[in-house]
Amino acid sequence: MAAVTAPAGQGAAGQGTAPKARGRWARRAGARWPAALIVGCALLAVFIAIAIAAPVFGNPLQQNLLTGLTPTGLPLGLSWAHPLGTDALGRSELARLAFGIRTSVIVALVSNATSIAIGAAIGLLAGFFGGPLEAILMRVTDIGLALPYTLAALVIAGLMPAGLMRVIVIITALFWAYPARLIYGEVLRLRRRGFVESGEAMGASGLAVVRKHLAPHMFPLIAAYSPLNAASAVVFEATLSYLGAGINPPTASLGNMISDGQEALTYAPQLLLVPAAGILLITMSFLLIGEGLKARNPDLARVSWLGR
Amino acid sequence: MARTLIRRLIYGLIAVLGVAVLSFLAEFVVPGDPARAIAPRATSAAVLENIRIQLHLNRPLIVQFGDYFTALFHGNLGTSYVQRQSVLSLIAPRLAATGWLALAGVVAEVLLGASLGLLATLYPRVRAAVSALNLTLLAVPQFVVGLILLLIFGFQLHMAPVTGGAGPAEIVLPALTLGLAGAPWYAQIVADQLSDSLSSAYVRTAVAKGLTDRHILRHHVLRNVLSPALTMIGMDLGSYLSGVVTVEVVFGWPGIGLLAVESLQNLDRPVVMGTVIVGAVAVVFFNLVADLLRMYVDPRTRQEQA
Repeated sequence: MAAVTAPAGQGAAGQGTAPKARGRWARRAGARWPAALIVGCALLAVFIAIAIAAPVFGNPLQQNLLTGLTPTGLPLGLSWAHPLGTDALGRSELARLAFGIRTSVIVALVSNATSIAIGAAIGLLAGFFGGPLEAILMRVTDIGLALPYTLAALVIAGLMPAGLMRVIVIITALFWAYPARLIYGEVLRLRRRGFVESGEAMGASGLAVVRKHLAPHMFPLIAAYSPLNAASAVVFEATLSYLGAGINPPTASLGNMISDGQEALTYAPQLLLVPAAGILLITMSFLLIGEGLKARNPDLARVSWLGR
Repeated sequence: MARTLIRRLIYGLIAVLGVAVLSFLAEFVVPGDPARAIAPRATSAAVLENIRIQLHLNRPLIVQFGDYFTALFHGNLGTSYVQRQSVLSLIAPRLAATGWLALAGVVAEVLLGASLGLLATLYPRVRAAVSALNLTLLAVPQFVVGLILLLIFGFQLHMAPVTGGAGPAEIVLPALTLGLAGAPWYAQIVADQLSDSLSSAYVRTAVAKGLTDRHILRHHVLRNVLSPALTMIGMDLGSYLSGVVTVEVVFGWPGIGLLAVESLQNLDRPVVMGTVIVGAVAVVFFNLVADLLRMYVDPRTRQEQA
């Protein structure tokens, strides 16, 4: 019985009819631009603006041991001169936050693009060509999925000097495998629908079929997965920098700001909470975009939140 | 079934071996001299050279590679450079500590997640609040959750120990950290599966047959919730056993992740390799167990695609 009812829930009937039944206005207001998508895009736009205009908020490296600390040498609290206070070295927390956001935004955008490009290429090739290439690529993908993420990241971190480049390389090296699996599965699904064969029957070359028939179908999937991938990248950058395996001080990153703030947990909890709020909001902007895209196209709900 | 099992086992072995080879290669190009790390104050070149000879570091990479993997196939992970103990005896107690934490974390996340999911299904009015909470928990990195818990319950309320170590009192906050960070996934699974299941034809049929609610929940609905939840639990157990590095660092929990971090700092290559390999085995093994359990619970997943 279960076998009979299962396809009815997820089959073709579920895709098109539901939004239509809600009428033209409902679709316009609800499905095209869901609130989550609007809020997410707005938040992300704000963060990109902050990332570009980071120097406006001050110099993140300027230590001020005389006026930036209390007479007993503790970080300053919130004030007009220092809107978010200062850190243990008397540096402006606001300026460091802005530059930390710049780091996070760059890492999110770049490593998302690189990891998905590699993953998509591998998934497409494996799914389309099959045979020994598929076997090799998917076994390599298995290795990528079996890597203990944080440990592997720490090992790779030992190979490179600290900085943005290191973070992007580590995240790319660890994050390509999940989208590869995702795209591979999608190609297999599409293959069963037969238009690859019809393309080939009409005499199209292999690469033309990939480019013209398969790749366009991947875009919605990639679009739905990207925000989640970018959110994971922000979280992972913070984690790496917190562990000293990403971006090292004095360069500001939300992760190493938290690592610094941890020392002051008892007397200046804002040094933990400010960068934590930064991570939360950046990640949230991406997650909201992801949720919004899923609300627009329920078929994409099978893309999980964060590929861990 | 048996063929699937054998194939999955072989794939798993290949994946673990691949991880081992990659981490071996990575470890040996790491800049830094283990001999220097072992004897930081040694001044004579002869002493350092002697250490290198003892550890076979003077041999060509390919010979060291051969030695390491021959030993590995005999179940020998080597000897720690720094602690002069077999890697296995160093890892075993750490793996046990991580195991307890992983178990407690999975219990916490399943309980929290299932409650959130049930709440969202049974009370549509709180659904938006539950999704907001889910997204917030997803958006915060594990170590930040841990630090905030430590700040509130450790430093402000003095309800939990802040000194680190492995014990029943010390496990509460790290387990809660894993629980909070993992709960959204379970909440989503439970909510999705429940709503799918409750509106499905087989539940309608069961109701029409006059079965009791309790019977329908236990025999028809629960199975459908269980199946994806089991996969998730398997993935989590695997990834937690491979070292919840940040949580262990935040709380000073003496698990395998903390061991890996310490060993990386000491350039203790055999221990780093050991932790990475044990981690990969955990990931692969628990994914396999989860899939097998899933096939047992949900007959639809038995016919696996090639």
